[in-house]
Amino acid sequence: MILTGLLLGAALGFVMQRGRFCVTGAFRDVWIARRTRWLTAFFVVIAIQSAGVFALQSAGVLTLPTSNLALPAVLVGSLLFGVGIVLAGGCATGTYYRSGEGLVGSWIALGLYALFASVMKNGALAGVNEEFRAQRVEASTLYGTLGVSPWVLVAVLLAGTGAAVWWHLSRRKKVAQLPARYTGLRHWLFEKPWDPFVTAVLVAVIAIAAYPLSFATGRESGLGITTPSANIVSFLVTGEVDFARSWSVLLVLGILVGSYAAAKGAGEFKIRVPDARTTVRAIAGGTLMGVGAAWAGGCTIGNSMVQTAQLSFQGWLALLFTFLGVGLGARLFITSHRRTGALTSPATTAAPQPARV
Amino acid sequence: MARHILQTEGQVCPFPLVEAKQAIAGLDVGDELVIDFDCTQATEAIPQWAAENDYPVTHFDRTGDASWTITVQKA
Repeated sequence: MILTGLLLGAALGFVMQRGRFCVTGAFRDVWIARRTRWLTAFFVVIAIQSAGVFALQSAGVLTLPTSNLALPAVLVGSLLFGVGIVLAGGCATGTYYRSGEGLVGSWIALGLYALFASVMKNGALAGVNEEFRAQRVEASTLYGTLGVSPWVLVAVLLAGTGAAVWWHLSRRKKVAQLPARYTGLRHWLFEKPWDPFVTAVLVAVIAIAAYPLSFATGRESGLGITTPSANIVSFLVTGEVDFARSWSVLLVLGILVGSYAAAKGAGEFKIRVPDARTTVRAIAGGTLMGVGAAWAGGCTIGNSMVQTAQLSFQGWLALLFTFLGVGLGARLFITSHRRTGALTSPATTAAPQPARV
Repeated sequence: MARHILQTEGQVCPFPLVEAKQAIAGLDVGDELVIDFDCTQATEAIPQWAAENDYPVTHFDRTGDASWTITVQKA
């Protein structure tokens, strides 16, 4: 039964790699380019998943667990996580699937993210983490506090997102494509650019499927990345297996398998070694991601995409503060970016300068 | 009409696009910017940026595994 985690993770890794689905990029584009196309696609995932998960609850398939909001930990953790994903060049899931594409910088960021998530959740800093997360306020779900049916909020979410999708589709322009090499199914799977909104619908279907599959193994939640990443490190150093959480461990390992298969099949797998600056950023970014996600109780998937769909305060506050953290990170590390000697022309050929850390 | 080359191999996303925006700002209308890159996401981001700015893409191809070149004309 836990093997469904591996299959679902592989599907997620495949879809995200082929669809170029990147939550960091979606948030970052708003800050550095004033573009909301990918953010809208991200909201498509939340809205459809929200409808799906409340339909499952209404049908009696599952009951979503709720808990009081760890307010300061969620805000501070999400902000740190937001800065971290800009430095690492991808959120937790993005870092998993880029690792599958052969980006060594992502391997480094992933290792530190998993290590520090484990240090915070199961290791030396577990006490600090628990103390911070113990500061809670009496608030759990948006609909509970507002005293309305969750379906009212689901309807608002669907309508708002639908309007935004329509706005983007009505302004769509013809975009240059790579020359086709394949035909038929191979072209569709490994070559044709996927529309962000189609990719978002596929991610939403995977996110909805995660609930019954995970609940069936006793793990009562949807997609989650941080806890299983921490548990992999804890297992490797202690040898102790937490069987109740094995489904999600296979899920994150599946992302690597799926993204590797997608990248390999498309001729997009290559071991890529980062320069000094990118390496230092991957180390700092991965560390901030591990600490931040542990405090916040989730990453861009577990909080910003899954808890939001469950209409919890944790999810929506984490989404807002991760978004602010990405803005801060973008201001510090992207808009100031200069690389002397990057541009050359036949008339002015300059020698490339060493990259600045 | 001049042709400028921007080599971004090894730069992770979003830097190939960030550098392309910086580079094209200094070009004359009609000049071509050749961008070589190896970050996968830019296969979506760079042509999308060109389309949104009505810059014609005069060449776009693979140059190997996870390696691409795109030529964008300033308009």
